[in-house]
Amino acid sequence: MKLPEILSKIPRQTIYLIMALAIIIPLIVPIGMPINIMPQTKKLYDAIESLPQDAKPVLVSCDFDPQSMPELYPMLEALLHHLFKKNVKVLVMALWPQGAGMADMALNTIPKLYNKEYGKDYVFLGYKAGAAAVVLGIGDKLKNVFPADYYNTLLDSLPLTANITNYDDISLVISLSAGDPGYRTWLFYGQSKFRFKLGTGVTAVSAADTYPYLGSGQLVGVFAGMKGAAEYETALYRSGYKLTRRDATKAMDAQSLGHFFIMVFIIVGNIGFLLLRRSK
Amino acid sequence: MNISTDILIWISSLLTLCIFSFIFRDNPFYRFAEHLFVGTSAGYFIALSYHNVVYPNLIVPLFKEGQIIYVIPLILGILYVTRFIPQISWVVRIPIAFLLGWGSGVVIPAALQTDVIKQIQGTMLTRVSFARWDNGLWTIIILIGVIATLIFFFFSRERKGIIKPLANLGIIFIMLGFGASFGYTVMARISLLIGRFQFLLGPWLGIIK
Repeated sequence: MKLPEILSKIPRQTIYLIMALAIIIPLIVPIGMPINIMPQTKKLYDAIESLPQDAKPVLVSCDFDPQSMPELYPMLEALLHHLFKKNVKVLVMALWPQGAGMADMALNTIPKLYNKEYGKDYVFLGYKAGAAAVVLGIGDKLKNVFPADYYNTLLDSLPLTANITNYDDISLVISLSAGDPGYRTWLFYGQSKFRFKLGTGVTAVSAADTYPYLGSGQLVGVFAGMKGAAEYETALYRSGYKLTRRDATKAMDAQSLGHFFIMVFIIVGNIGFLLLRRSK
Repeated sequence: MNISTDILIWISSLLTLCIFSFIFRDNPFYRFAEHLFVGTSAGYFIALSYHNVVYPNLIVPLFKEGQIIYVIPLILGILYVTRFIPQISWVVRIPIAFLLGWGSGVVIPAALQTDVIKQIQGTMLTRVSFARWDNGLWTIIILIGVIATLIFFFFSRERKGIIKPLANLGIIFIMLGFGASFGYTVMARISLLIGRFQFLLGPWLGIIK
């Protein structure tokens, strides 16, 4: 077999093996490549960082499932660390049924680290079906949509939620979004109508779609994929926040090496294709 | 190395390896994991839909609280089933029409506001856009990109004269957009692979923390 054929017919098993090694090795032996914080991440970080201690609560919507956990769960953990450390009150909800499970997992550990009291410092609203109606409904009256929290306690009986009526009583909404319903639901039915501040953390697949909304100011900032999560973790770390885990940051070496080999394969494949075409 | 003794982690890890085995070729292990996932997901969502949607939004208000108005969504819901009965399958159009009417009413103004009006505002050149020179430059590039891309999709005139180079410029902007999307898609897929390897090397094999 000649070189052009070898280059354009690399067995896929070989490609998979190289990709696996490119990811496994840096996970076991970290290289420690530098992480630069992109402007869109910095914008959302600054929006959270600038909240005063007596700020109105932040609403975090977990609009993702276990499939997008590697990208969005580190954002959720970092976000909760950030908000609790700053003593900002937090409301957590989900537009995806599995998102409630993700939120529950994070809320079982992180609030305890900051001695946060359920009902006073944070409330978990859980999942509610009918995303558009939920987002529109909160703009009218939160308690019409969520009469009770995830644990079936009436919101009127919880100190944090007793005085919350609608988006006017919320300082920032952050949707950790893996698709639809997600940040676009919050934009379409919430932000465009009720004009609240909206930030989002998205999977990398949807990251490019968020830029027009970022440019027009409809989104205050974006965490884009695992890279965005790593940038957020790094921003927090550099500002002195102590995170229990930094999964996204640890994964960045593997991410970079994986991308490097994909670029190599694209170049090699194209060279092989061009040589093969010329030889015919 | 500290291998897990948790049976659930073992099940999860072995199912991950079953799915990964598709890399070599289709095989019974892959098919077993795939069918198990489809079956479990279907069962999970049926139970979830009942407990999170049907029970709290229909059973409780209608049968436990006696709110008669909820008979309307009950009837509309039942009408969906008529599509399985050929003689009266046309009845399914009633709930679909209701849903389309509600959906259009809600979506059209929201889409206009979010994707048209706000986006046009965001493209306009204002004094604020030029507060910093780099910001001003990007705003001009975005404006040119939007106009060139819109001209590319303008099919009512033949592509000649000024329209031709602008449409070609539009193609460049579209390709840049596709490139960014593809790059991010690769990043997303690698992230998912990293997530699985982090799980296999961490909670399962205990090689990494």
